[in-house]
Amino acid sequence: MLVTKPVAELCALLIDELHGELPSRIFAILLSKGRSNLTQLAQYTAMTPRQVRHGLAVLQQHNLLFYHVDPSAEFASYEANADHAYNLVRTGKILEMVDTSFGPAAKDVMQSLLLSGQTRISDLVAAYREKIEQANQTAAIIGDDDDFGAETNGVNGDSQPAKKPGPLVKSTAHLNTLICRLVEAELIDVVHSKSFESPEDVLKTVEKEVMDKHFPAGVKGNKAKIELQERIAEGLRKVRGESKSLKRKLEQNGGSAAKRRKLVAGLGGANGVQDEDMDPALDPRQVIRINYEKCLVDLRNRRLAQYATDMIGETTAYVYGVLLKLLTKDLPRCRANPVMDAGDEKDESEKGTVCVTTEQILDNLKTSVDLSLGIGKAERRQVSSTAAEKIELYPPKKRVLIEEAEVDGEASADEDEGDNESSEESEYDSDYKAPATNGANGTNGVNGTNGTKVKFDESAAPKERRLDRPGQLRQHLLILSESTQRFVRHCGPDEWTVDFVPVMNSLREVELDSVIERTCGRQGLRLVRILRAKGKLDEKALPNVALMRKPELQQKMLEMQTAGFVSVQEVPRDLKADVKKSFFLWFCDVDRSLSRLLDTSYTTMVHCIQVLEALRQKERDVLETTKRTDVRGREKDTMRKSYYERYSRFLECERTLFAQVMRVDDLVSVLRDF
Amino acid sequence: MASDSVGLDSVKSQILKDALYEEIKQHGSETRLFTQKDLIDLNIIPNNDVKQLLDIVQQLCNDKLLVGTTNHHAGLSWRWRSREEAKKYTSLPNDEAVMVYSIIDEAGADGIWNRTIKNKLNMHENVVKTCIKFLETKGYIASMKNVEHPNKKMYIKATLRPSERATGGPWFTEGELDTAFIAELEGIVFEYIKTKSAYRGSQPHTGGAASSSAGATKLPKKGAVTAADTTARGTKRSATEISTDDAAARAGGKSRAVFLPMPAGYKHYPTVAEIAKFIHDTGITNNTTLGEADIQQLVDVLTYDGLIEMVRVGRRRGYRVARAVKQDTVPFHKRQKEREAGVGLDLLPLIPGAEPLGNGLTEAPCGRCPVFELCEEGGPVSPSNCVYFLQWLELEDLPKAVAPSVPLPP
Ligand code: SF4
Repeated sequence: MLVTKPVAELCALLIDELHGELPSRIFAILLSKGRSNLTQLAQYTAMTPRQVRHGLAVLQQHNLLFYHVDPSAEFASYEANADHAYNLVRTGKILEMVDTSFGPAAKDVMQSLLLSGQTRISDLVAAYREKIEQANQTAAIIGDDDDFGAETNGVNGDSQPAKKPGPLVKSTAHLNTLICRLVEAELIDVVHSKSFESPEDVLKTVEKEVMDKHFPAGVKGNKAKIELQERIAEGLRKVRGESKSLKRKLEQNGGSAAKRRKLVAGLGGANGVQDEDMDPALDPRQVIRINYEKCLVDLRNRRLAQYATDMIGETTAYVYGVLLKLLTKDLPRCRANPVMDAGDEKDESEKGTVCVTTEQILDNLKTSVDLSLGIGKAERRQVSSTAAEKIELYPPKKRVLIEEAEVDGEASADEDEGDNESSEESEYDSDYKAPATNGANGTNGVNGTNGTKVKFDESAAPKERRLDRPGQLRQHLLILSESTQRFVRHCGPDEWTVDFVPVMNSLREVELDSVIERTCGRQGLRLVRILRAKGKLDEKALPNVALMRKPELQQKMLEMQTAGFVSVQEVPRDLKADVKKSFFLWFCDVDRSLSRLLDTSYTTMVHCIQVLEALRQKERDVLETTKRTDVRGREKDTMRKSYYERYSRFLECERTLFAQVMRVDDLVSVLRDF
Repeated sequence: MASDSVGLDSVKSQILKDALYEEIKQHGSETRLFTQKDLIDLNIIPNNDVKQLLDIVQQLCNDKLLVGTTNHHAGLSWRWRSREEAKKYTSLPNDEAVMVYSIIDEAGADGIWNRTIKNKLNMHENVVKTCIKFLETKGYIASMKNVEHPNKKMYIKATLRPSERATGGPWFTEGELDTAFIAELEGIVFEYIKTKSAYRGSQPHTGGAASSSAGATKLPKKGAVTAADTTARGTKRSATEISTDDAAARAGGKSRAVFLPMPAGYKHYPTVAEIAKFIHDTGITNNTTLGEADIQQLVDVLTYDGLIEMVRVGRRRGYRVARAVKQDTVPFHKRQKEREAGVGLDLLPLIPGAEPLGNGLTEAPCGRCPVFELCEEGGPVSPSNCVYFLQWLELEDLPKAVAPSVPLPP
């Protein structure tokens, strides 16, 4: 991540929010001064070494630092880990994601990890054991409930009312299962010796090792250079793979978490508090932490499903979400590392693309979802199955926004379809007749055949031909692959895949477009998209394409130039370079607009937090009151009415502002990480 | 004797002249160029006498019935001119007027700028002016406007209609782009594509099970379309609120009309030709003729606006509405009528298509802030004294007077 000024500011503010001012100040200094040691830090921050050490410990605990111990130097030097600092803003989102896909108990575990930073497994177990015991006691004595989930996180904002009786994590056995599941999903990985070294340091070490071991006489010739590169990549991959050691161990120890869970449930682990409940593979001394890379993969899936909701519809998006989840199960990160994954990519093309079959998707759909929803009805003969079922073996080379005309409509649109219709039909039916009994009851057929002629009106009461569930699923998948955004590629009969790069590019463009539309209006959007489709365009040619009046158009272009969405280039007609005679070519540089958008996003997040800070200052007196121990937890009863109102309004604003920061982070993720 | 032969000659040449002129007219339009060989081959001049031919041609030229030009391929050649036109020429009082008239004549339907006339003929400005005035009063020429050069004074032969290039085509009315007409037509074309490319069905409210289980963060609409939505802004709603929302919706169990996407491979997305035919049949454009190319232009604009998208099914190139589910099921013209009747005047201006998508940036005041570049803690404008945020958080109603001079765009 490129650390620009707004990013640095944002990271410092986030750390301030979550871990207090001291670490935040140290972090800010580390970002601005670069690698420093303890004495230097004390100097820069004008703090005592004791304070600095304390701050560093907090940062270290939460993985916000890299350190490096040079054998020749006396002290360790520290460096800021801006990526992880930025990730703090995603805390709430990650918890919500874990909540929906793994349940509230897993969320609870994640939350504990997020709050305490990297943790030794034994410590985590001990903490939970204590909680469970306490809960059992209180439950026995008072029968009252209390909030046993760890205290809610600041960024997350919405404090969860813990109205459920008893703790979420029932026993250590339960905890064990949860940890195993999260490790297997790669959302949690282990901390190892190199986790705290900055990527540059790791690269240096690996490079040195490789040089010493394989090229003691130096690198000569192209072939050796390539080999060096490969060996370095391999070394780096090995280091990276270390954090997955626990997952591998779990896999070797046989069986998936699901299996293990069943076993545990069979043993009636609900009341078990013994250590035997812990999986032997989970070495209690091992330190675990959250793996943001994998979390991002899941967050991306959710964002893409949301994209599909916006573009197509909810039911289709649900199917898409399931498909994505299956497809990315073993995908460790959103973006391949150019050095480390160079080899991987080659493997992949040899292996063939990863894909999901229709059946796999079907097996994972919730039975409660009605797949007949969300698609219009059309008569069989109005639909060309050959066109719909087109199989694309290879990913697209380049995305074209608006294709140029080749053949115009009309001509032979229907001619070649008619004769193979019958064969299609039989193929269709034979494929899907078998499971027809399941689930089609009472649902509306998607591909209804309607007596005579389709009218676009429900009142026509079409006589529908019911399509069974696999058929309905297929309809959704086909719509996804026919969409202009190319959500899905139909890469083989009954096989589906997603080309993430082009889909994400289109999503980025959509995000950019909506900003343009909101700031410069629809006409602004029109002009930008014209330029995007046509490349550079003479100012004189624009009005005709855009069907806009010249003066308005010029004004709009200037407006957008200041906003950074378009640029202009002057091309003199002759040597004299008379400005009056020059051509003015407009163009838009999407990448530049996007990076500008990213900067604007960071700044906006900073502003949101600063506004909150200002509000806090304003409501200082009220907030002071709420900190008193006799008021805490009983604000409503103990505070004066006007005070309480101000307090609750402040809370509301706080929530809104944090939510907004997270919304902007959605955009940042799309632009930068996905 | 001599005079007799001259008389005879003149009679003879008169006959030959007429015969040649009529024959030429038979062989082509006013724009065809005839070479000397073409004229000989007409077999009017006895014995293919070149000298006599040239003689006759010269006489016709003098009568302004033939116009000589030099052409690169054919060398010297002629085209004919109608007798009426020729009469106009011969009726002109002086050479200057003839020259001015002929240069305007040659410019044809594109017209010619008065400065060009002056420069080409190398005449004094006043002379040109008087000539033009004379020709105008005679009704031989007329002034015209050219959209490409709206400030130039142009002239055209009175009998001609200005060319498409000069008028700008069907989208122009009197040299001005007719944006009202275009907007209306865009609305109609969009509505047509919308109803032809999406299925009008119904759906249970908020999608029921699918939406909550998809786990996607649902974003409430920003534009405050319905009363229920007005309170929701951005992502103020936490996950729990969303799920209660869904539960409520499910309990309500009402269904609403929506547009749904067509199944993949749908073959009847309207093509440009179909749209053109539809527009023609409605007769909206009674005094302008719109070709398919014109409609294509319009459709392209709608595509650039992101309202529709092109789909190729087999070899058919059709257009369909983008984001069908989000479209308004009430026809656009009805909405327009509502507006005229005063409904929803407080909302955004009416534009066809679904509400634009938003994101974190478009919702936050900063994303639309006119002083964004200046805003910094410690600067003249800063987050801690930001009025836009206070307004956005509904902490302060901006008094009208203090309302920012540049209001945030919606
Ligand atoms: S003035 Fe307010 S809205 Fe504008 S950039 Fe600053 S904080 Fe954002």
